[in-house]
Amino acid sequence: MATDIQISIVGSAGDGTIAAGEILRNALAGMGYKVISFDVYPPEIRGFGKCIARMRITTEQAYSLKHKSDVLVSLDDSHAIAHANEVRDCGAVIYEQGSIVRLPEGGHMSAHIGPGQLPYPLPIRELSEKSTGANRSRNIVVLGFIAGLFNLPAEGFRKAIGKKFRNKAAAVEASEAAFKAGLDYAAKTFKLDDVSFGPPVATVVAGATVEMINGNAAIVRGALDAGIDTFFGYPITPATSIMERLASEMPKRGGRLLQTEDEISAISAVIGAGFAGARAATSTSGPGLSLMAEMLGMGVIGEVPAVLFVSQRGGPSTGMPTKTEQSDLHMAVYGGHGDAPRIVIAPTNVDGCYRCAGKAFEMAEAYQTPVIVLIDLYLSNRYETVVFPARPPFEADLNRRPGKQAAGAQYKRYALGGDDISPRAVPGEKGGMHVVTGLEHNELGRPNDSAELHAAMSRKRHEKLKLALNHPDFTKFKRFGDEGPVDVGVMSWGSNFGECLEAMLKARAEGIRCAAMKVVMLSPFPTEGVASFMADCREVLVPELNYQGQFANLLQANIARPVTRLDRVPGEPMKVEEILEEIRRLAGNKAAQKAA
Amino acid sequence: MTKTKNVRHHVVIGSGVAGSQAAETLREREPDARVTILTLSSLLFYNRYDLPKVFRGHRDWREFLAFPAEYYKDHRIEVRRCSRVAGVDGSRRTIALEHKEEIRFDTLLVASGGRGYIPEELADFRPLMHPFSSYTEAVTAAGVVPERGHVIMLGGDMIGLDLARTLVDTRHRVTLVAGPQTFWPHEVDEDERPGLIAALEKMGVEVVEAADAGGIASIEQGARGLSARRVLFKDGTELYGDVVMPFFGLSPSVEFMLGSGTDIERGLLVNPALRTTGEGIYAAGDVCQIWSDAEKRYRFFYGWKNVRAMGELAARNITGGDEPWVPVQDEKLRIDGQGKLQSPFWEYE
Ligand SMILES: Cc1cc2nc3c(=O)[nH]c(=O)nc-3n(C[C@H](O)[C@H](O)[C@H](O)COP(=O)(O)OP(=O)(O)OC[C@H]3O[C@@H](n4cnc5c(N)ncnc54)[C@H](O)[C@@H]3O)c2cc1C
Repeated sequence: MATDIQISIVGSAGDGTIAAGEILRNALAGMGYKVISFDVYPPEIRGFGKCIARMRITTEQAYSLKHKSDVLVSLDDSHAIAHANEVRDCGAVIYEQGSIVRLPEGGHMSAHIGPGQLPYPLPIRELSEKSTGANRSRNIVVLGFIAGLFNLPAEGFRKAIGKKFRNKAAAVEASEAAFKAGLDYAAKTFKLDDVSFGPPVATVVAGATVEMINGNAAIVRGALDAGIDTFFGYPITPATSIMERLASEMPKRGGRLLQTEDEISAISAVIGAGFAGARAATSTSGPGLSLMAEMLGMGVIGEVPAVLFVSQRGGPSTGMPTKTEQSDLHMAVYGGHGDAPRIVIAPTNVDGCYRCAGKAFEMAEAYQTPVIVLIDLYLSNRYETVVFPARPPFEADLNRRPGKQAAGAQYKRYALGGDDISPRAVPGEKGGMHVVTGLEHNELGRPNDSAELHAAMSRKRHEKLKLALNHPDFTKFKRFGDEGPVDVGVMSWGSNFGECLEAMLKARAEGIRCAAMKVVMLSPFPTEGVASFMADCREVLVPELNYQGQFANLLQANIARPVTRLDRVPGEPMKVEEILEEIRRLAGNKAAQKAA
Repeated sequence: MTKTKNVRHHVVIGSGVAGSQAAETLREREPDARVTILTLSSLLFYNRYDLPKVFRGHRDWREFLAFPAEYYKDHRIEVRRCSRVAGVDGSRRTIALEHKEEIRFDTLLVASGGRGYIPEELADFRPLMHPFSSYTEAVTAAGVVPERGHVIMLGGDMIGLDLARTLVDTRHRVTLVAGPQTFWPHEVDEDERPGLIAALEKMGVEVVEAADAGGIASIEQGARGLSARRVLFKDGTELYGDVVMPFFGLSPSVEFMLGSGTDIERGLLVNPALRTTGEGIYAAGDVCQIWSDAEKRYRFFYGWKNVRAMGELAARNITGGDEPWVPVQDEKLRIDGQGKLQSPFWEYE
């Protein structure tokens, strides 16, 4: 029996909602299920604000979260009530049976459980207090109950609890007691819902390791596997955990990480380190990218390798720090002054985060330019089961070194001609002395603003990037679904692609001829491949999580043809059903035309 | 939950036949009012007389529901499941739920039915008995009885005897430990009883008169290698079976009404229009005792059809009517031409 179950745990900051989600998904992944999960948490640290740990557990690969959950767990009704209607019919709602304070009418979950849903009231607090002497382990009681109700092996949970609280013996002991209390309670509970887990299907790839990991962690892993030397950054949600993880990992491998005083310093230091020949990177979010824009131009004109991991959140300005959005695409591709081309790549899933992170270092070096890896909060915090190859699939060094100079010849750092990529010497390299400046320059790097040189250098800086369109072992775009002419083609990028793919697959199952394309390389734009796909599509639908239709704008700037935009800014992932509805509508156009 | 100001809020306690019928009638008669059902049940309304079907292999709760979930959405009837009423304040017109939520009502219909009665002397053995008053209890009991297993039935009210028919039919062995509650709620004369017992035996039920064995001394776990349960009688005789099921009739669920300002005897006392002594509070179904002018006493009227009619009548009277209660089914237990028991209690349209 194929498993496809979505569980949402909703609570208040401090309830252990996110921790419960972490244990649950690790336990399930450890059992061999595929898991996609996405947590939502408030900007405040503790005491109020809604937290949601939501995960989809499958045996077949899934690409997005579902619109409706099969199980909702409430650790705090005041937040969870709003999510009761997200539970499907015959799905389960698990909630605290009794309150310790008086509740106004409607203040209890039982008031909001629809007639099609199945209620599971549970004395969560009481079980926690009786088993551990405190109410802190309510989240673990609930995990025990889930394990019992759905007949999941307790051992898997115990391992995940041990991992979560390693080095904290008291916490492990309390958690085990609380888990058992929940498990025992489930044994006495009559199961009514139709949620059932089939046996997991283990993924076996020779030599590979399978891990549950989120987008930011995958970025870190990719950076480490690509041999990152130095990192400079300034914390900002939702990118902070990239720096945090690197801070603990890099020193073990001889790397260096510095938290700078702000984003301007961070990018400046990255460019300095890149100039010095190191594989260097920074991470930030939209507001930080704005601050980095000027120095990004410095990297472009100086032709210095630099890698920027940018995780978008709701904007503009401070905007919605803990909400997801895809509204920094314009900024990433065009942001800054002058003609400052750069490479922008946007992975569409967690595995892609790993690959793009590693490939970004290759590209930065190979094309001597800043590379932006553009993700968003949804991808940063989204957990997926990823298969990591036995050996990192990244090249360790793609620098084009200056050859031996002819006697008396001066080293031309910015030599024109050839494939527009000039040999790059690093400071201290014999015969490689040169100047790097933010001013327009001649081939030697000396300031020069003649019209001819500016034209030639501008052309060089733009043309060399086109080589990235053929960068080896890198998926710039990919088509899915029906081959040949289709009625509807869905074009998507970034984190939103999972929802688009799922909607397209559902539409196909309904008999609609359709296909989807993910575009990973946003700059330079893979016009030819994308145009050829669009030529196959009677209608092109572009769903994205921003108001302006930034990707649709980019598409139309490169390929002149009408598209249907589906722009949404809910601060959370788009609903598959909404995209599907639009596909149906567009597919129906044909029938309508025919009828006319 | 919908909250609309200035509309009447009719609250019904209980999602059994009486409560469910009342909610539907309330909705029909007052399309704009808010109608809320509060119930202990985790399932939507199902007919309890269907429960013996679990012994025929029907275990999926969906099969039992009287209406699909859409019915409640379409009729805008809110059903609050797993919500135990802890108290009612008639003067403030509020209901306190056990989980500490307070609900305001304009009118209240108490249709909380009754639960399986267990005689005092058997109360200690409760954990060793399998009750049969809800879907979950029915499925649990059916789950422990093996194919062709032996069911020991204590008491033998009409609910139990209905189940006994199914059990015999499905080739289970049934032993009835008969006593004063046998045939409840039918009132059976002394001289009628032997004939009725004979009819039961003809049906395939083995009957032991508890009184003949001095009454039940204890109920125990069956000995190793034997059946799961042992019923020991005071005269030293014993019975072994796979399960012991109590069927001693129902006792009204009224404890939460204490202090509400309504009069209670065994059930909630209502006048022939099903109005309690509390302002705006009505009662219907197994929970209420109705004043009978003819008999000059408050009395219960049992049976599924009666209870449904009470639910409907109460709702009509809540919404402006003033009609008296008239029973819709007779109460006589008979033996037909072929020697089979015939109870109006067992007629399902
Ligand atoms: C197994 C079984 C088989 C039966 N078979 C037959 C038959 O064959 N023929 C026949 O005529 N009759 C039969 N009956 C009897 C018949 O079902 C009852 O007469 C009828 O169900 C009574 O309906 P009611 O609405 O008054 O109460 P009930 O059906 O008992 O419903 C009571 C409701 O009140 C709720 N409630 C109780 N206390 C509270 C509280 N404190 N807070 C909130 N909610 C509360 C309960 O959850 C329930 O929803 C059978 C009964 C049982 C148990």
